[in-house]
Amino acid sequence: MANIQQVTRRHAVVSETRHLLFSVMPGAVWILIFLVLPSLYLMAVAFMTNGAYGLPELPLSLDAFKQLAGFGFLGWSPGNLYTLLRSLWQTLVSTGLVVLVAYPIAYYITTCRTSLRPLMLLAVVVPSWTNQVIRAFGWMNLLAPGTPLSDAAQALGLIGDYMGLYPSNFAVTLGLVYNFLPFMVLPLYAAFEKLDVAQVQAAQDLYAAPVRAFWHAVFPQTLPGLLAGTVLVAIPAFGMYVIPELLGGGKGMMLGNLVANQFAGGSNWPLGAAGALLMLLATFVGLFAMRRIGKRLGGGEEVVI
Amino acid sequence: MRKRTLNRGLAGFWWLTLVFLYLPLAIVVLFSFNSTNSAANFSGFSLRWYHRLLGNDQIISAFYNSLILAIVSSIVALMIGCLIGYGMYRHRHRKLGWLIVLIYLPIVLPDIVFGISEMAFFVQFNRLTGLLEPGLGTMIIAHVTFQIPFVALIVYSRFVGLDPSLFEAAKDLYASPFKRALHFLLPTVKPALISAFFLSFTLSIDDFVISFFTAGPESATLPIYIWGAIKKGVSPEINAIATLMIGAVALAAVLSLLFNRQGRR
Repeated sequence: MANIQQVTRRHAVVSETRHLLFSVMPGAVWILIFLVLPSLYLMAVAFMTNGAYGLPELPLSLDAFKQLAGFGFLGWSPGNLYTLLRSLWQTLVSTGLVVLVAYPIAYYITTCRTSLRPLMLLAVVVPSWTNQVIRAFGWMNLLAPGTPLSDAAQALGLIGDYMGLYPSNFAVTLGLVYNFLPFMVLPLYAAFEKLDVAQVQAAQDLYAAPVRAFWHAVFPQTLPGLLAGTVLVAIPAFGMYVIPELLGGGKGMMLGNLVANQFAGGSNWPLGAAGALLMLLATFVGLFAMRRIGKRLGGGEEVVI
Repeated sequence: MRKRTLNRGLAGFWWLTLVFLYLPLAIVVLFSFNSTNSAANFSGFSLRWYHRLLGNDQIISAFYNSLILAIVSSIVALMIGCLIGYGMYRHRHRKLGWLIVLIYLPIVLPDIVFGISEMAFFVQFNRLTGLLEPGLGTMIIAHVTFQIPFVALIVYSRFVGLDPSLFEAAKDLYASPFKRALHFLLPTVKPALISAFFLSFTLSIDDFVISFFTAGPESATLPIYIWGAIKKGVSPEINAIATLMIGAVALAAVLSLLFNRQGRR
């Protein structure tokens, strides 16, 4: 009796394993070959020497990382460091601005009629369905020299005569805010929608001033959404390629452009790979940090991407 | 009283934000009907840029490339991703941690890192073996790779939402595995498959960065063509082709809203 059970159980385990292999393996193998392998190769490239035509060659070296820090044939130059700092700065500023715009918007949507809300969310999200190249092109049209916005900026003395608002660092910031706004509105809206109003009422009953009631009863409850939004905005913003390339001109370059130029121009693969490695590091550090903070807040699951 | 001022302020801010969101698109649409090629002022309505579009072979072929890429990659991703989604559901009890990491990897990887690692890999692979020359083939592979997780997660969440006893019931009725797949599994995941297909399709049409780095000389898609045209110096035809793409998105938005309404009823 026991024997038969054992045999059938073993049979079940074998068929389960076969089943697992059949269902999961094709995808796992695909991702291993076409994603993990290329990523590992890219990591290896970062530690190789820059050879002819910019292709990586042995021996292994740390040249690429030295170059990324600014050490070239002609001694140290701050160019790459500026690019890195600009990426960090643009990420910080645009994420902050996105929060400032998205927070009231997300709150306002929750104050509207329930039947209206999906439509309002859709209105926020629809522009981001258009290709990002087209959206950046729209801003190029709006901010070019001779357009009303540029004329107004000239009249105010913000920019010189015959100049446009684009290309500039300002245009890049604007483009980033424009691009990432929906990614902040959606998680914040979800947080506002779940808001426990009893807590706010309790605060009011205890005669808390509106600001205090907001700070102690509303803000902490929206923190998980804010955190999720920050992950969704800051990480892709740091590696942005299209917006700085189109709206920033030569002086608005970010890390993504530095990396891409090393490959597209075919000039220096190891340097580009080193930059990509840095971006990857920033991504995982960011994700890890957010996860830790999210867990401490208790809303851990929402923050997991 | 105070509350009302706050609400009015919020409403004003809401409309201002909508202007901010739609102005860049509106300007593209407006200038696509411009009768001259001035980018600064509008000087009368005309359809000349749309006429030009029809005569531009590069745009037509870019359009077909975009379409082929989106359809083929979505179908392949659908098959692979659906299997993963089912496997994830059936074998949750095992430690699938490594698989989850694999699944999430394409989502968290910055697209520029994704694009260049694929490009570097394909170029070296091509140098070594002569296979996988950059072109539609490599683009399809790259697109499938970033679509798989989305399909898998959509299918998985559909299965998780189902009553587990349904699976038992199908088994208890002595249906063969094949029959179970055909008469029970496929029909149940059909809605998930349809929405996964549309999501993959949109992701593919919308993608620029990954396509840009994995494309060959003959396989430019619409976004890549537009990018090139912008870089070379703006031609008003871009406004026209961009307007058509914006129109397609608007149509999709309206359709999704209608479907949603129907679904809730």
